[in-house]
Amino acid sequence: MPHQAPLGYVAMLAAFVGLGLFVLPGSAQTDAPEVEALFKENDCHKCHHPTRSKKGPALQKIAEKYKGKADAGDKVVEQMSKGGKVKLDDGTEDDHKIIDVKDPKIRLEIAKWILSH
Amino acid sequence: MRTFRAAERARSRTIALATVAGALALTAGPAMAADVSKIDWDKIVPTKVVLFYPGQSSYEWLRSDAHKGAAKETQRGDSCVSCHDDAKEEQIQGAKILKGGHPLEPIALSGKNGHVDLSVQAAFDDKNAYIRARWTTNNKTRPGVDYPVYRFDGKEWKSYGAQRLQPDAVAGKTPAVYEDRLSLMLDDGKVPGFANQGCWLTCHDGQRTMLREATRAEVAANPLLSAIKKADVRKYLPVSRADPNDWKTGKSVEEIAKAKAGGEFLDLIQWRAHRTNVVGGVDDGYVLEWRNFDSGKNHFASNMDDATKTPKFMFDAAKQGGKSQTDADFLKKDAILVKGGNAVPFDANAGWKAGDMLPQYVLSAADAGGSAADNKGIGVWKDGMWTVVIVRPLALANDDDKGLRAGGVYNVGFAVHDDHMTARGHHVSYVKTLGLGAKADIEAIKLP
Ligand code: HEC
Ligand code: HEC
Repeated sequence: MPHQAPLGYVAMLAAFVGLGLFVLPGSAQTDAPEVEALFKENDCHKCHHPTRSKKGPALQKIAEKYKGKADAGDKVVEQMSKGGKVKLDDGTEDDHKIIDVKDPKIRLEIAKWILSH
Repeated sequence: MRTFRAAERARSRTIALATVAGALALTAGPAMAADVSKIDWDKIVPTKVVLFYPGQSSYEWLRSDAHKGAAKETQRGDSCVSCHDDAKEEQIQGAKILKGGHPLEPIALSGKNGHVDLSVQAAFDDKNAYIRARWTTNNKTRPGVDYPVYRFDGKEWKSYGAQRLQPDAVAGKTPAVYEDRLSLMLDDGKVPGFANQGCWLTCHDGQRTMLREATRAEVAANPLLSAIKKADVRKYLPVSRADPNDWKTGKSVEEIAKAKAGGEFLDLIQWRAHRTNVVGGVDDGYVLEWRNFDSGKNHFASNMDDATKTPKFMFDAAKQGGKSQTDADFLKKDAILVKGGNAVPFDANAGWKAGDMLPQYVLSAADAGGSAADNKGIGVWKDGMWTVVIVRPLALANDDDKGLRAGGVYNVGFAVHDDHMTARGHHVSYVKTLGLGAKADIEAIKLP
């Protein structure tokens, strides 16, 4: 009898492990699951995968690009706040999504979460 | 004759089957090739398929700028899940569309679930494929075995009750009622784009309950729809239109016949809680220029005599406990009319009173025949959950069927209607693969 992993199981496990990584005891400010939820509610995940390039660059790639840069957080906040044109693989341009989060502190948390990949 | 229905009932003895059934079990038509009760479903690992509420996300909406940042990709045929691939994507999407005020769902549907977890198992033998699907219905107190009726108003028999999205039902002018359904669209690789975009290829503006729903006049003025004698716009595939974004641009009947001969159509298999279940039937249809039934006769037929404008059959009072339904038991007591079972010819002089109700359809396994009657099946509802088994003969050779074969891999899309809804009021899956003894998202196990 062929063994089939029920689709949901692996995903659930991944989510569980992911959660475990982010909820660091004592790290009061970055409530990762909530930040991640905001990222998804804003459809960011539809173009940005943690490790794989989709329509937009992978989160890991973004984190890599800004590694060691002091103003990384501000730059990423700027990208999600200002909209404007982004270049696509095929050379055309698209308006980038503006995040529907008013509080600048939370925007920065989302940026930090992106950069933690 | 040991029927499929009887077999399944024997297997789950405790099931309180909410139907007129009993003696009807034996009218369930041709015997199933295999004794379904012998399938040990506990040994077949279920695949979880998540379905979500799509609202009015039509082919046209998906290709418009409203599908922000995705119009171009969808137009060029990208797979939906190339972007919609989060582990909880369907949950997120369904909740978002139903949270209120979303452009894809103009009607406030409080209490409506955004997604459905469908547990799917499959098996096959030398004769049939068996697909078993289970889901928890939104209504926990009664299965969706009811359907709009004909109600006598003292003079005439008029349609009464409507699905929840219908304007009169939304306005509370008629009760919300519709049957539960499990549907499957199946492609053997011959429908361009289906492997990537699934059911959404068939869903268009202009259809019932969709944006810019076509008017009767528009349909009457349309060359294709008048040629095929249809009064509304239903599911269609892009190949049937000169401009797939416009239902009005139907190709000629000859061109459509050519596409059909080339296999460019989807098989549509539908199990229905009111119109097919108690006679062990499952619809067999296909989608090309319209959502057609296969040739032959369905398991159900209209209960309206067009000449006399009265129902054709009424209940046998001795079997049903009354010749009709009334307000007192409507949506409470099962009232499914079965020829050769609880139906007797309508008697105009039976003393009809305003408020008497009779079903709009009469069921018969014996009358069903031809390609339309290929599929069989049974569903039982227990503790708020449907368990449905669909039996599909292998290697069907009709020109309106996709023949399933051992070793074959097919693209399938699943949909569930419950909660008194039809048309767009369903939950839909992204496309999955079904393999008969072959590697796929859902693998049908070869039975010993
Ligand atoms: C429709 C697809 C799409 C969506 C939705 C989307 N992005 Fe982007 N994003 C892109 C593309 C394309 C780029 C640009 C890549 C480039 O210019 O090199 C980009 C770039 C970025 C960058 C900058 C990376 C850099 O190199 O500086 C960040 C940060 C970012 N997105 C965050 C977000 C956030 C946060 C959201 C949700 C509010 C979001 N994106 C939603 C497509 C998308
Ligand atoms: C290029 C990536 C991409 C592709 C391909 C794509 N989508 Fe989307 N889709 C998105 C994005 C991004 C959004 C959010 C748009 C917004 O800002 O509201 C979205 C939104 C939706 C929504 C509205 C609910 C929601 O999640 O916001 C539905 C329904 C939907 N898409 C269905 C589909 C279907 C069905 C297909 C395949 C026929 C498809 N999409 C293909 C990226 C994509």
